[in-house]
Amino acid sequence: MMDRIAALGRLGFDIVATVGRAGYFLGGALAGVPKPAVGFPLLVRQLYSVGVLSLAIVVVSGLFIGMVLGLQGYTILSDYGSEAAVGQMIALTLVRELGPVVTALLFAGRAGSALTAEIGLMKATEQLSSMEMMGVDPLRRVIAPRLWAGFIAMPILAVIFSVVGIWGGMLVSVDWLGVFEGAFWGNMQSSVSFVDDVLNGVVKTVVFGFVCTWIAVFQGYDCVPTSAGISSATTKTVVYSSLAVLGLDFVLTAVMFGNF
Amino acid sequence: MASEAYITLTDVVFSRSGRRIFDGVTLEIPRGKTTAIMGPSGTGKTTLLRLIGGQLKPDSGTIMVAGENVPKLRRKALYTLREKMGMLFQSGALFTDLSAFENVAFPLRVHTSLPEDMIRDIVLMKLEAVGLRGARDLMPSELSGGMTRRVALARSIALDPELIMYDEPFAGQDPIAMGVLVKLIRDLNSSMGLTSVLVSHDVPESLSICHYACIIADGQIIGEGTPDELRQHPSERVQQFLQGQPDGPVPFNYPAPDAGSDWGLTGGLK
Repeated sequence: MMDRIAALGRLGFDIVATVGRAGYFLGGALAGVPKPAVGFPLLVRQLYSVGVLSLAIVVVSGLFIGMVLGLQGYTILSDYGSEAAVGQMIALTLVRELGPVVTALLFAGRAGSALTAEIGLMKATEQLSSMEMMGVDPLRRVIAPRLWAGFIAMPILAVIFSVVGIWGGMLVSVDWLGVFEGAFWGNMQSSVSFVDDVLNGVVKTVVFGFVCTWIAVFQGYDCVPTSAGISSATTKTVVYSSLAVLGLDFVLTAVMFGNF
Repeated sequence: MASEAYITLTDVVFSRSGRRIFDGVTLEIPRGKTTAIMGPSGTGKTTLLRLIGGQLKPDSGTIMVAGENVPKLRRKALYTLREKMGMLFQSGALFTDLSAFENVAFPLRVHTSLPEDMIRDIVLMKLEAVGLRGARDLMPSELSGGMTRRVALARSIALDPELIMYDEPFAGQDPIAMGVLVKLIRDLNSSMGLTSVLVSHDVPESLSICHYACIIADGQIIGEGTPDELRQHPSERVQQFLQGQPDGPVPFNYPAPDAGSDWGLTGGLK
């Protein structure tokens, strides 16, 4: 019994210590403004690998999720004879919830795991260490551009996801199932508010992008520098990011749309 | 010691995960000479280099490098001091996404604002010094182990440091590569006047190039002096290490319970 309590206490200490390290790490990486001539090319390269290379999975997933929403929405709404509201349903679902959440989950799986593995391997092969010994701070040279790239790319990816999703929903409900196009877009326009729905959705993506990238990059930097360590860090990135996104989504939704 | 000390360690105590690695190490490394730090594997030789480079902090004691106390330095001063140091990692630690040329150019690009043609000239000079000017366009994955280490050596001297630290430069090298590295280390020291610190357990190679050597075991320095002084050293442990005898004061066997109890022989082994 005492052993269990002691283990619980140790776990608590470990968690607090890890959170502390992660905070210290974030501060070290984001402190200091790099010279634009040095920092900009590094950022562009990371934006490419984190953002552009994630486009395919985001676009394809967005398209299919939009199409499924169109199909499901039409089947349900047509029972009540209000299939014209399908556009409004698709848009609100995507902009408020599915866009930010699904993109964040895809982002954690596609870009986050890659970031963790890359940084973990750089640590294991002493590349970070040797950079430090050359008088170059890896936090600023390696970590900071990746963090900023994630912060920037994730909201843009989520917006693309929602746009493609709405288009996919339109393909199914208007072009295939024959919902009147004017009603589809008109209903959407009158019910989606820019500030309450679109902006709140974007705020969610910013939060998710920040959390996912932070977790991914920190797990890589903090991993045990062995094969097993990198594999467990990569797993942790995906698991922690997904849980954090889903948990934070509930909190943010309660604050944004709770009306209490 | 004839020349002044470039690095001075005083009473350095360092422990990691509950194990005491250094227990009061005091050591002077003279300027412009080659100093070998030798000792059995796992005695924290690499840790010593990391302490000198400021990547680890000692529990107590001072580490003076070029007149600055490394553990007390603030981040910025530490990074400035590191520009005067070069370190050759055991694995080479080349950046795998950059070619050999770009690896050597990296410190120059970061720390200087030299024009591109001058960077090219310096990089080719450094690569020529390690005999790999022709390998400039190869990626690290295309280099052999010895070549990797030589490119890494070129990279660590790119900024003409005052101090260079070699972490096990001979480990896992074939005899030819080893000979090449020995010659390179010796030439770099004599032509550039570098202070060199060499961590190794390859006794003959290390003693052949160093001016001064010390042997670490069990967290302490058990013998130091010039190679000749060490060969005459009265300590049995020093002699055991230098001559590579399997048994002596440093036991071959890791501490173990009585053999009889492990194999279930009640009477113990006779």
